[in-house]
Amino acid sequence: MPDRYRDDCPTAFSLERRELLLGGLYLLGGLAVIPTLPAIAAAASWSQESAAQFMEISSLLIPHHLHGEVGKRIGAAMSALNPALSEQVAALLAIAKNKNARIVEDFFPDVPEGPLKETALAIISAWYLGVVSDAPDAEVFAYEYALMYGPTRDVMTIPSYAVSGPNGWTADAPPLDNMPEF
Amino acid sequence: MASDDSADVVVVGTGVVGCLIAEQALDAGLSVLMLEAGPRVDRWRIVENYRNLPPSLRLFHWDAPYPPKPWAPHLETRKDKEAEQYLQLEGPNARAYLQGYVRYAGGATWHWAGICWRLTPEDMRLNSLYGVGRDWPFAHDVIEPYYTRAEYALGVCGPSDPASQWPPNAKRSQPYPMGPTPFGPGEHRLTEVAAKIGLMNIPAPQARNSGVSYHGRPPCCGNNNCFPVCPIAAKYDAATALPKIEAKGGKILVNAVVYRIETGNRKTVEAVHYFDPDKGSHKVTGKIFVIACNGIETPKLLLFSKDDRNPNGVANSSDQVGRNMMDQPKLIADVELTEPLWTGVGPVQSSSVMNTTQGEFRNSHAGALLRMENFARSPLGAAAALKKGLVGKALDKEIRRISACTARLTVEHEPLPSPDNRLTLSSKKDWLGINKPNIYYDVGDYVRRSAKEYTVPLLHKLADGLGATSFQLSPEFLNSDHIMGGCIMGTDPTTSVVDADCRAHDHHNLFLPGGGAMPSGTASNSTLTMAALALKAADAIVDQLRHG
Repeated sequence: MPDRYRDDCPTAFSLERRELLLGGLYLLGGLAVIPTLPAIAAAASWSQESAAQFMEISSLLIPHHLHGEVGKRIGAAMSALNPALSEQVAALLAIAKNKNARIVEDFFPDVPEGPLKETALAIISAWYLGVVSDAPDAEVFAYEYALMYGPTRDVMTIPSYAVSGPNGWTADAPPLDNMPEF
Repeated sequence: MASDDSADVVVVGTGVVGCLIAEQALDAGLSVLMLEAGPRVDRWRIVENYRNLPPSLRLFHWDAPYPPKPWAPHLETRKDKEAEQYLQLEGPNARAYLQGYVRYAGGATWHWAGICWRLTPEDMRLNSLYGVGRDWPFAHDVIEPYYTRAEYALGVCGPSDPASQWPPNAKRSQPYPMGPTPFGPGEHRLTEVAAKIGLMNIPAPQARNSGVSYHGRPPCCGNNNCFPVCPIAAKYDAATALPKIEAKGGKILVNAVVYRIETGNRKTVEAVHYFDPDKGSHKVTGKIFVIACNGIETPKLLLFSKDDRNPNGVANSSDQVGRNMMDQPKLIADVELTEPLWTGVGPVQSSSVMNTTQGEFRNSHAGALLRMENFARSPLGAAAALKKGLVGKALDKEIRRISACTARLTVEHEPLPSPDNRLTLSSKKDWLGINKPNIYYDVGDYVRRSAKEYTVPLLHKLADGLGATSFQLSPEFLNSDHIMGGCIMGTDPTTSVVDADCRAHDHHNLFLPGGGAMPSGTASNSTLTMAALALKAADAIVDQLRHG
């Protein structure tokens, strides 16, 4: 006899978490909380151009391969929480261009303390952690592509992913200085 | 064949204990009906739940991928407020009884580490040898064959070299079914450092397939996620037993919350009653009843079944039901090191220092198990490095450094049974109107002395040996999720709840196997002993139904 209750619990849990995304957020960086702003309205004000600029500044802030689809979702989610995001991204791009920056070290010292710097750090944090908030109900935009696993990917497992076959690991570890590429 | 309302053997709870008994009874030709309070959830959903948690909840919130049903609440710790909802805790060490278990089909083995230590002969004779605690009603050679059967039933990997086996002073009747999993860099280094200060870090026997498939489950591939869930079922969990039980003709009713054990004349258990999720009540009859819903839910159910025939609750003429609650009070030390240690390679736990659990000192303070947590620390490293406001290469370098050069050392102390550490029914009620469990917990001077004079100094020595530059000790004792003692075993019906087969002294057809029956907590993880007791009880159940 099929069980009519089977498996329904986690689904309900996930839906609830997504509905709550805009509700109780503890924000990283300088993003403003706008609890009543519906996600769909935020998405409308987040243009294709905004998304492209978000990827451009992300690539300047982070010296690693970035997935476009993940960036689209992170950008839209951050813009839903921070109406000034487009302007701040544009301002950060202007600082970078002014310095002919190719990597973050070229222009980050010129970013002024305050909302601009906080937003830059929040963008970096989102790419590394895969979330724009660390609230219990936060939506996860990247798991295995979250950059936090990159600096140790030559040794440490991405939890729940296998790095090798059966008993295929050893006690050997490369030197701390050997930063892997990612 | 069992029906929805009757069977030869009615098993309440679908964790490791209930499942082992169910399979044994089915193999003996008996009909079996299992009742589970919570839902039956597929592995992939739990893995998805886990991966969809924000990084801060993926570690140390093992309950988070297991949202409970309203009718089967368990501990939730995603938010502070949630943590206060179900378990009602009091006493000087209330925090040390914040027990995580899963009210899902498959039970708490969903998020156990899989560690399978055997007790030593001394662990079973604490009172005779050291004048503390209680003795078991039988000797180590009686439980040894059951340990072996449990190791083969669960699929335990372990070393073949006797010098690395535990206990060192008791013979094994069979080798482990599989060899040990390899050490990663962290556990390898810890072993070397520990040896220099006389601590023997040995491979932990684990219910994890090592190098080969076993019982239809794949070999461990080092996914480093044993808790909160093994994504590939290389680790034994009781959920993997459920289809086998059904294939043998067993029936499993989920979302069936047993709330009353009904006894008849002559103290025979006649039935159990359960609520469905619509709060409808149903009755199940049988010949033998097994209550195996873990060390908290079982005594809660016995107490809640109080009626005119059983004024203190079922099986409680001794007044010991819910007393003697035990778990290994745990302390953790977070350390920062000058050199990389590299955890996060292989299973989340693969070894422990065990020689610190034994000794004449047990007449004055607790023995303890020491180990290092082997989970990947990259999320912790990333969070800490980001908090420093670093960017670019400096950020990556700091993530790598913190992830590699930090560790968590853990010590788990042996508890003694105390009647004051007691589970009672709270005045607060759950969604179904069933009283929540209330537990008073004090780890006692035996453990406090051990921490002060023995284990914390050892932790410092171990940290120094590893080259620690900082050492942060947890400010209070924590839970280890090894719930024991609430239906304590003994030969005297006036001072214990169950006999040597986990049969209730008060009711000849009621069995209460599992951690609750254990007379000594010891420093070792409890599951293999629970499994051995389950198999011993299963033999007694089969024998009782065959021969009366």
